[in-house]
This record gives sequence, C-alpha cells and structure tokens, in this order.
Amino acid sequence: MNSIYKQMRRLSGVLLTGLALAMTWGQAAAQHDIRGIEGQVFNLYAFPFNINLPEGTSLHMWGFGDQDAGTAGSHGDTGYDLPQYPGPTLIVTAGKPVTINLTNYGVPQPVSIVVTGHDVAAACTSPSCTNGLVTTASSNPGETVSYTFDAPEPGTYLYHSLDGPNPGLHVEMGLLGVLVVRPADSSRTAYGANTGTDYDQEFLYLMTEVDPDIHLQMERGHVAHFTHSDRFAKIWFVNGRVFPDLFQGNYNSLFPHQPYESLAQSHPGDRVLVRNINAGHDSHPFHYHGENLRFIARDGRMLTSDPDGTSGTPMADLGRSDNTINSAPKQAVDAIWTWTGAKLNWDIYGHDTAHNCVDTNGDDFGDGPNNTYEHEYCPDHGKQIPVTLPGAQDLTLGGWWSGSPFLGDVGDLPPGEGGLNPFGGYFLVWHSHAEKELTTFDIFPGGSLSSVVVLPPDVPIQ
Amino acid sequence: MNRLTTSALSIVISLALLGSTGAAYAAVNVQCPGDKDGDAAWNAKNEKAPGERGGPPANTKCMHLIAGDSFVVMPDGNPMYTFGFGDQTGTPPADVIAEGILDGEWPGPTIVLEQGDEFFLSLSNVGTVIRPDLFDPHTVHFHGFPNAATVFDGVPEVSISINMGATLTYYYNIVEPGTYIYHCHVEATEHMEMGMLANLYVHSGQDRTGCASGTCPVGGRFGGPGGGTAVGEPQGYAYNDDDGTTGWDVEKAIQVSSFDSRFHDASLFVQPLPFAGLEATYPQMNGRGYPDTVVSGDLPAPTDNTVAVAGHDPGKVTGTPGEILNNGTPTQTMDSVIAVNAGEKLLLRLSNVSVDRFYTMTAQGLTMQIVGTGARHMRGTDGKNVYREVASVNFGGGETHDVLIDTEGVAPGTYFLYSTELHQLSNLTELDGGMITEIVVN
Repeated sequence: MNSIYKQMRRLSGVLLTGLALAMTWGQAAAQHDIRGIEGQVFNLYAFPFNINLPEGTSLHMWGFGDQDAGTAGSHGDTGYDLPQYPGPTLIVTAGKPVTINLTNYGVPQPVSIVVTGHDVAAACTSPSCTNGLVTTASSNPGETVSYTFDAPEPGTYLYHSLDGPNPGLHVEMGLLGVLVVRPADSSRTAYGANTGTDYDQEFLYLMTEVDPDIHLQMERGHVAHFTHSDRFAKIWFVNGRVFPDLFQGNYNSLFPHQPYESLAQSHPGDRVLVRNINAGHDSHPFHYHGENLRFIARDGRMLTSDPDGTSGTPMADLGRSDNTINSAPKQAVDAIWTWTGAKLNWDIYGHDTAHNCVDTNGDDFGDGPNNTYEHEYCPDHGKQIPVTLPGAQDLTLGGWWSGSPFLGDVGDLPPGEGGLNPFGGYFLVWHSHAEKELTTFDIFPGGSLSSVVVLPPDVPIQ
Repeated sequence: MNRLTTSALSIVISLALLGSTGAAYAAVNVQCPGDKDGDAAWNAKNEKAPGERGGPPANTKCMHLIAGDSFVVMPDGNPMYTFGFGDQTGTPPADVIAEGILDGEWPGPTIVLEQGDEFFLSLSNVGTVIRPDLFDPHTVHFHGFPNAATVFDGVPEVSISINMGATLTYYYNIVEPGTYIYHCHVEATEHMEMGMLANLYVHSGQDRTGCASGTCPVGGRFGGPGGGTAVGEPQGYAYNDDDGTTGWDVEKAIQVSSFDSRFHDASLFVQPLPFAGLEATYPQMNGRGYPDTVVSGDLPAPTDNTVAVAGHDPGKVTGTPGEILNNGTPTQTMDSVIAVNAGEKLLLRLSNVSVDRFYTMTAQGLTMQIVGTGARHMRGTDGKNVYREVASVNFGGGETHDVLIDTEGVAPGTYFLYSTELHQLSNLTELDGGMITEIVVN
C-alpha cells in the first residue's frame, strides 16, 4: 500500500467534498483515534448533572469531569469542563506512573477510583477523607484524594468509583470512564511494534446500562435508605449515548454531558481496532455486522502463544475470530475488524463503469497509480450485481440508505427518504444482539444500536 | 419477470424512476437463474436444473421464503401469536400470498448451504393477516455473512426492506463455512421476539475434497469412506481444518431462544408492546420447550387452548376452546431430537437468538469441545488450534458455537443437553420443561 499516494487520493477527496475547512492536515485527517485527555496527571472532579434522552426524558447522573477543561485533549484543547457520561477517557503511555487527583464537589456519597487490572494507591491530600472497605474516598465537597498507579502494560481498562455504603450505585449513576494505555514505543499499535496489533482506525465501544428508577430515586435525594437489589435495566448505552444520538459528533453541544460518539468509520481494507469494554452490571452480546473481528487481547493482555517472548517479540496470534463479543461486566476485549468487500462476486463500484482495478503486488487487491479504488477486490471487478432490486414503491427505505447498492454511489430517492449517507458509504450496524437493548426506556429504536460506515476510499475519515 | 442480468446502470435507473423499469409494483417476483416460471425451483419441462446442460451453474441455489404471521403452541397448551418465515419454494407465484398467509414457521425454515454456492434468496412479504392494522416490511439478515454489503445485509435503518405483497431477492456468494443465523432485522426487538429467527449453516468445501494436504479423506457426504464410528472417516468437517480435527459423523443445529408470553399476547390483542419489561418465560430449543423438544418431526397443527393457561380462559385466541388455528398447518417443524451411535462424533451447531438473556449449555456426562465460534474455525493466526474442551458453553444472543461431542468410549444411554440456568427448565409456570433435550447414544 502506497501511503503517500493514499493520502493524495484522500486529499483530492477532501477538496472535492469541501471538507478541508477547519481540518488539521496530516495523518490524523485520514485516521481516527479515540478522543480523550492525555498525560500523566489528571485532575478530575465528581458532580451530579442531568442528561437528555432522545425519547424525551431526562436522567439524573453522577459523573467525572476534567478540572483542567480539556487542555490536555488528545486532539487539542477542547475547553470542555463539564461532568460527563462516561468520564473523560484517559489516554496514557505504558511505563509511566499515572496520578488521578479526584475532588468531590457534590455527589452525595464518598467517591473513589479503582482501575481494572491495576493496583491503585490512594492518598488523602485534604485534611480528611473517608476510608472505605476497598479504598480511600473523597466524600465531602472539596476533599481531594490522589490515586496513583503504574501502567506497565498497554491495553484497554476501566476506572470507576467503588465503595461507600452502596458500591454498585456509583457505576450505575455514571462514575466510570475508560483508561487507554498506549505502548511505550509510540507505534500506531495496540500492543507495540511487531506484535501484529497495528491499526488504521481506532474506536471505543463502551457498554453501559441503567435502570431509570434508580436515577429518579437519586434525583429525589433518596440516597441513605436506598437499595438496588431489584435493579432492572431499561436503557442501554454505547459511549454514554443511545441511538440515534450516538451517531452525532464528539463534543456536540446538543449533548453537553455526553461528549463521545460511537459511529465507527473505515475504508475498505483498513484495520479497525475496536476496544470493546463493558462498564455495566449486566453482560451484553455485542454483534458486529459486516465481518468478523479477530480478537487480539482480553483485559489488557495480548492473546499470544509466546507471552515470555522466547522467540522474539510476542505476537497477538492466539485470538479467535467471532462476530459477537460476549461482553461480561468490567471485561475488555480488543479486536481488529477489517472489511474488504472481497468475494461478493459482484463489483461494489459497479456504478463507475470506467474504473480500473490494478493489482501490482499480487494480493488480489487494487493498488498503485493506475488503480482507481484503493483496495478494490480485483477478481470481482466488472461483475454485474446478480439480481434486480425492486422498485421504490415496494421498498421501505432506511435513513442511512444511499439509494444505491454500490459503494460511493448515491441513487435518487423519493422526497423525504434517505439523506443521512451523502458519501454513499456502507453502513453496517454494530449493536447489542440482545435486541431488547435496542430500546430507550420502552421506545424502539434506541439503546445500543450503533454502526460502522465503510466509506469510499476518497472520503477522509476524521 | 426473471431478469437476472441487468446492467448496473439500470438498477440505479430503476430506483431513480421509482421502479418503473424494475418489477411490477407489489407483485411476487422471484429471481432464480434457470427458473422460468417464478417458483424458485427447476421443476417445469422447459427448466434445466443447476449443472445440467443448458441449466444454470451447478453451484446455484434458490429458495423462496415468505414473511408473515402464524400461531404456535407452547408445551403447556398456551397458543402464541408469532411472526415468522415460511418456505414457499416451488409454489407458483400466483399462489404464494394465499399459501404463505398464516404459514410462518417457528423457527424459520433451516437453510443449509455448501461452500461455493451462489445463493438466490427471495423474500416475499405476505403481511400479517391477524394484525391487519400493521404494514410492517421485513428483511433477511444473514447473520455473520463475511464482507457483507449493506444492500443484502437486511438492516432496515441503513438499507432496504420489502413491503407487503412484494419480493426482494438477496444474493449471497457463499465462501466461508460455519454456523450462522438468519433473522428479520426490521424493528428488531419486536420481529425477533415474535419469532423471525432461524438456523443457517454452511458445509465446508473440505467435505468434497478432503484435507488439502491429503491427511484426511473426502467426507462421507460426498462419497468418502464415512465409516460410521470409524475414527478419521467422518461424514463431513465443520471447517476447512486441513487436519481432520473438525470431522463429524452426525450434525444437529440447535437454536436456543425464548418467548415472553406477555409480549406475544400484547401483540395478539393489539396492546402496547412491553419492550422495557421483556423477560423470557418460555425458554426453547428450535422453537419448542421440553417435552416437545424430544418429539420427532412436526408438532401437531396449533389449536386454541382447551384449558385455562397463564391467566387466560380456554379459547384464548378465538374464544372457542380447541379451535383450529393456522388453517390446520403445522408451524413447529424442527425437532431437537439428537441420536448417535457410540463412537461417533456429534457436531452441535449451537446458536443463541434470545433477545433478552444469556444461556449456558451443558451436556451432562459428555465432553464438549468448541471448535468454531461466529462461523469461523477456532484457530489463531499462527495456525494453532485454540479449541476449548468445556463442560459449559455460555453465550448471548447472536453468538454461535460449533461444539463437537466425541462419544468414543461413552456408555450407551440417554444424556441431556440443557441450560445450566436451571430455572429455565420450565414452560412459564409448568415445571420439567423449557430448555432441555435428549442426546441418545445407541
């Protein structure tokens, strides 16, 4: 793959589509990575807030916010300082100690931080803090506790509040977030150079679920005498949002306390790293349309046949392939998803009768200066789609349907139909396969119904 | 009617002109190569079957499903209103709507394919005659299909779905063996809870060829030795393993699911559907709970309940106890009976399509080896088999597992395959039911 050529093609795509406005040019323009805040020291606070749901209700939450107002944002200063659901995604580098200073400004219970897979030391930096069963907590307004830990291993982890009289309540209410530990060698990989974990695009899939009755009780201040032994979840989230909100951009002001989107994007042939992590109390069978995922790690440990590296750098070679992740509470799975469109037996660029598929390196996929669509599967080139689609009167058309079966093409649709897929991408939904979870408080569609969109090679991924 | 080779351009145009160059508006319109009378079969005098001189390529497969509604009966006699798929392959197009009404099956007709097939699947929407107030479109989602294109992925929000009275033909080039699922994806929570779920699996090319390296023979399915209990001479292979380790002598697809009877009753009686409160009350295998799981073949055609059940008086549906539902057509056509001879290898193609919970399967007294997940061979990228020998398989909706049970040295007798969530061994309030069936080792 000629990356300079690829970037040039994408540059032309940018100019054509007029998206060059306000975009920082460079590698990040064509490659997505997870949004969050970076560094070694994070100053977080805990505070209550309310979020709006698309079916019209609001939900009282407790969450973490960034006291430094996004100055260490992974993609530049965000200026974002609200308490959020989920908490700020913390992005750190393996091998460097991490400090989280947590101050509770208004959650009516002692708030703390534990990190999955890590031994976290807690030190009270205020005159007094609350020592709980598991860790030290910040309970009174203004109290600060410093949590420090080493992050020796790359991977995907979860941080959340625990302890207090009702420990499970804190995660239910939203006191949780993701910790991404990047490899020390600065490679664009999940687990280090030459481990077979390199990727083109990176997306977070953080599952949570809530029982709105509990949030109503907390809003009414029924904290002290509360039990959630009869918890029964009714709303299901990905990255803190539900369908269709989760397709809107990061830090969209429509969702002031829910900064993270979950629409994944890919070009044909891209390696898409999915960090699938469940912060909830229930298991979720999360299903990825379009192609299987190859598992590379579980709970921040690479799935390798050679963990000690006796025969060189360990490779992520033992993971199985699946299209659904059995996502248990607090469990993380890292996996690589790659959609190529190969072997469909029809030309996915069939709308463009003049395009060329030239394979210069013998891998069956188009490449090089005389090739039109990067990574087209050449053996299917020029084959007609074998069936005729019914007329529009006989069809119900989805909002993200482009009007055409071809990638990068848009067909004419009746007035009011479609319109949400201007680049003619292939939307392939990624969602909980417990379909009950595709609802928001009794309303379908909603919940954890997200999607990837495979975009034509010319369209940049932001 | 059967336009199979239309230029790509005309498809765009047909959409542009709102179908004026495509099929006639609202008509059953099967597309199947070599089928001249629109019934998805090669049964007329002027039709040549796949592979025959003048016929379509030998790897052509066609099927004609309808999507509609019907009734089924739970083991305690409680009739359930369902949405479902039915098989109308071979039915003349003019008769498909009439034949397809009230002919949804639970689970849907099993689809069995061979690696290398070109599969033309036509889906006709016959409407929901019991709910004439509904105008729901339907789709087929081929769950796990590799490199899926949106147009044939069947997700209505991002694709197309077929309206009542019309047909959509899906095209699938079958390249990966394994255990899949198919289901409707329209209003997924509702249509899947209502029963639009089914088994789908693909036999491996190794069945035909034996191991590429020559270390295992052609499967008995294709004339290989297939020597019953003889080790290393299986009927087929779950995957193209090239080492014979996924060989099987007997295969059985078991799809676990569950109904919430309150949801089905709400649908039948035109009430708001309880999405948030949805909870499994009738755990099932292949569309039936024990003891119906061990009844061979079709269950009797559904009839209205003759005794009070689940708070309903006799005659819940029609007011007439014993009234024939569904025009007397059996709708639960897939059993869960499993029988092997001692020494044989049993391949269980397990899938879970529950819309609300996980299940854990065990086969007490037998050892289960998971050799495939999500329609892929369990093999790492370094070529090592990462099979797992287990006593329990935990899975949620959408997960499939290929499980081998080797009965070498197993004493003949009756063993049980069941959910280890033992409270799921019931049919609502009826005990000794639910998600359990027998594995008989002869």
